[in-house]
Amino acid sequence: MATGWTKLLGTVYGPLEQKRRYRQYKARVERLPPGYRIAVDALQRYSYYFGHGTAEGGVSMLEDLADLFEQGAASGTPVREIVGEDPVEFADAFLRNYPEGQWIIRERDRLTGAIERATGEGTGSEGTAR
Amino acid sequence: MGKQVTEMLKGTLEGIVLAILSGRPAYGYEITAWLREQGFSDIAEGTVYALLIRVEQRGFVDVEKVPSEKGPPRKVYSLNAQGQEYLEEFWRTWSFLTERLEQLREGGR
Repeated sequence: MATGWTKLLGTVYGPLEQKRRYRQYKARVERLPPGYRIAVDALQRYSYYFGHGTAEGGVSMLEDLADLFEQGAASGTPVREIVGEDPVEFADAFLRNYPEGQWIIRERDRLTGAIERATGEGTGSEGTAR
Repeated sequence: MGKQVTEMLKGTLEGIVLAILSGRPAYGYEITAWLREQGFSDIAEGTVYALLIRVEQRGFVDVEKVPSEKGPPRKVYSLNAQGQEYLEEFWRTWSFLTERLEQLREGGR
């Protein structure tokens, strides 16, 4: 029964491996000091608005985030020094590294493609919106 | 550090970090600490970290994981041949930019 249930979760939430890595990530965040944990949770929440879920790209992103804050907590770097004066700027620069699954990337391609068509430019493969 | 420096730094940080790595391999925290010492006191560790991930994805650096006494293993970054090439291009662009700006300051031609 347990396997059936996990299988169902797998189909619903993506491959099991991703799910396992996500749980590992959550456990790592739980072990962080409160301030660091709050910061990671807030950054994770923000990342959802870019279309990241628990898919491969999203999980790698979260793991890198956990690395950064674990390292920061271990070396005593204050949260403010990790994220800087403008956390949004940091978050955007960080999230740009994980384009997979981000709706904004598809929209950017679509915009580029539309302008190319509008200006009658080449049928180049770059930036075409399908 | 003023807002203006922060803005200007954005476009050049990648080149700065690659230039630091051309001297010797380093991990993220060392790079941030060095930048702070040099007067870029507002630089966020996360910003440098994000940048290092990007240059790794673009194939400019080689990465080695080294265990640390406290916390997770550290990633030590070193500049590879492709990164060296990119850095040379960065310096050429930089020279172009500074020459033109200097001309403007001296009375705009």
